[in-house]
Amino acid sequence: MKEKNKINWKTLAGKPEFSTILMLVIMVIVTACLQKNFFSQRTILSYINSFTPLILLAMGQAVVIIAGGLDMSCGTSMALMLCVMTRIMDPEQPFSGVTALVIGLLVAIAIGLINGFAVGYLRLPAVIATFATSYAWLGTALFVTPTPGGQQVAWFKAFYDMKQVPGLEAIGSVIPTALLWILLACVVWYIISRTRTGRYIYAVGSDAENAYASGINTAKIQTIAYVINAVFLYFAAVYYAGQNGAGSAHFGDTLTLQAIAAAVVGGIAMSGGRGNVYLAIAGALIMSFVSKIIFFADIPNAYQTLVSGLIIIAAIGISAAYAASQKKAALKGGK
Amino acid sequence: MPLLTATGIKKLFGGVVALSNGNLTCEEGKITGLLGTNGSGKSTISKIITGVYGKDGGTIIYDGKEINFKNPNEAKMNGISMVFQNLSLMPDLTVWQNIVLGIEKKKGLFLDDKQAIELAQSIINDLKPGMDVNKKVSELNPGEQQITEIAKAISVRPKLLIFDEPTAALEQEEVNSLFRYMRKLAGEGVAMIFTSHRLGEVMEICDNIVVFRNGENVGSMDFAVEEKDADAIVKMITGETEGIHISKEYHDIPDEVVFEVENLCYGKFLNNVSFKLRKGEVLGIGGLAGQGQTELMLALAGNYRQTQCKAQVNGQKVALTKPSNAVQNGVLLVPGDRQKEGTFQRNSIYYNMIFPKLGLKKQPLFTPRKKYREEAEQVCQALSVRAKSIDVDLYTLSGGNQQKIVVGKWLPFDINVLLLADPAKGVDVRAKKDLYDFIMNMVREKNMSVILYASDSDELISYCDRLLIMYEGEVVSELVGPEITEDNIVAKSMRVE
Repeated sequence: MKEKNKINWKTLAGKPEFSTILMLVIMVIVTACLQKNFFSQRTILSYINSFTPLILLAMGQAVVIIAGGLDMSCGTSMALMLCVMTRIMDPEQPFSGVTALVIGLLVAIAIGLINGFAVGYLRLPAVIATFATSYAWLGTALFVTPTPGGQQVAWFKAFYDMKQVPGLEAIGSVIPTALLWILLACVVWYIISRTRTGRYIYAVGSDAENAYASGINTAKIQTIAYVINAVFLYFAAVYYAGQNGAGSAHFGDTLTLQAIAAAVVGGIAMSGGRGNVYLAIAGALIMSFVSKIIFFADIPNAYQTLVSGLIIIAAIGISAAYAASQKKAALKGGK
Repeated sequence: MPLLTATGIKKLFGGVVALSNGNLTCEEGKITGLLGTNGSGKSTISKIITGVYGKDGGTIIYDGKEINFKNPNEAKMNGISMVFQNLSLMPDLTVWQNIVLGIEKKKGLFLDDKQAIELAQSIINDLKPGMDVNKKVSELNPGEQQITEIAKAISVRPKLLIFDEPTAALEQEEVNSLFRYMRKLAGEGVAMIFTSHRLGEVMEICDNIVVFRNGENVGSMDFAVEEKDADAIVKMITGETEGIHISKEYHDIPDEVVFEVENLCYGKFLNNVSFKLRKGEVLGIGGLAGQGQTELMLALAGNYRQTQCKAQVNGQKVALTKPSNAVQNGVLLVPGDRQKEGTFQRNSIYYNMIFPKLGLKKQPLFTPRKKYREEAEQVCQALSVRAKSIDVDLYTLSGGNQQKIVVGKWLPFDINVLLLADPAKGVDVRAKKDLYDFIMNMVREKNMSVILYASDSDELISYCDRLLIMYEGEVVSELVGPEITEDNIVAKSMRVE
């Protein structure tokens, strides 16, 4: 009996998900120790609300990275969608909210297509191409919203918290609205991952040349990956529009690299082809808890960034070291 | 009526003629062998048929219609499938996902994975029973990867199946089951083209052969009417009236040890390997494929940090844990997988030649470009590399010429021990002999020592003074001089006494 338990433990530890989940558990424990009322409903709800956008960004980033790309523009593209939507909305005309949603989605798809076109069809290196487009998005956002601001229609609040909108309180009190967004993103990816497109995204990231030789339209698949990413960014933008009712061109600046780091901490291989999109959620949670830990550990303001940077480096280091140790174990493993 | 007729096919690569007049016919249920040296155009014509390259002239009639496929996928959709020598697999996908890649079937909204796994398993069961289709391709050994590649080509039920060197990575047992399967397909009316450097295999499996030399066909043979005459075929391939014969003389080697390795261990792959290599000796490493030979060569070159052993070069202790330690002591590796381990494909010949030098400790601040360029040109001349200049990118050269560069880059060094890890894999008869002649000359003139691992036992028999047989990571027996015969090697490898 004891023997059997041992084997199960080993197979569990051998899974690539193991180190990410373990790290997340540690982060939760540390935060729970530092914060007195961590397990109160209110605290958990506020965490879910503040973590959701990064989770959506990280999932989008994961899809692109698995397809062999990278999106250096995810923060600014999200900010652009947010600026466009809050600019269109007019509190006097409730219907303008629908217009904002439709135009926002069109902007998202356009952004995905342009990024995908640059990387897939023009074959520009993903880092350079999306870094360049990030300036285009920023410039457009500054044009739309020169100074932070904007408006929202009353019912748009439902995208942030249904409890604040008459008629939807019942749903809002059963499940946090933010969780619904994550659920929606997961369902979207689940459906895609079970189709040809999902399989091909992994194939293209694994070896683009061979994928092409096998009859896969690699440029098209990479473009689709960028569009999926843009749709996830759109979810985040709608969520923010509901929360703030205002936008700023620089709103997403810090989120880009956080989303990439979250994907890496979540075990998505930067070389492409490997990783689990759902684990990017865990990666985003780890990144988010880092800032909470810094906040509750009473670290002087001046050192906060430095310490959070060190924790992130440690987190990435741990996942890398873990992967290396697994490789070593495989080398020694049974003959 | 033949299934496929190609006539007068021409192909130029940037002014270099790869194919001047290629002709080929394939018939249903027949296996046609393509023979020729590297760069003779036999691979090129296969790749033109499947749409990897566009042709510069000639016509291809397939199934009664003239065709001109733009990419391999279009050919596949029309029933022409190719097994690539440089595998076309996705390392991060599983075996079954690779096999159905590009032809996935849907069941409702989602992919029908269950049916795909069944299909993959049924093909694999015929080729290599017991292989797990749920493994990722990156976890497979080269033979299993090749089998996956073959299964992938078969899965579309092609009318014409083209094999480009399918057996180079396979063990004998796997080759046998492949041939069984090919005969079954031939019985079902599938036409096949089979390319291999192993003449014995071609004579065993093919119904007829076509020989290419310098971009055109120089002869053909139909085994239904003509006798299988190996000498005649070799003459056609080389264009020489005399066949290639290698005679071996064993001479006494003075008892001066240049390289001594004691109890080398590396993970589960190598276990207490010990040997002494004398000056001027060619030491062979043999045995069944995958018994740790490749790992041993890489370990000796310092590629594995985890290697544990006591090693001495000319009486001086060396830690074989870093490639630079090995290089600085004159232990130099010519790797088997030249594309991955030995070259920078997208850089010039010159760049490939000088990079080992830049790794040396004593290196001037500024690279003496002129001097190094002259050296590189001399090496190219000495090895008769066929290239326009030393500035062309490596991937434009044929396999044999690339392999010459891999050997050539070490020539300006003081070589104590040259490690050859299957140097002639995928290299034709002619280039193989040139390569070995050159190395054996160096052994004689410079009194250099060589450790040679070759998957082809003929090479071991022809060139080794002493042979170590490996089994499951250990050296299990030693053959000296005239003891090195085919029978002895097979007996010792299979551990039959």
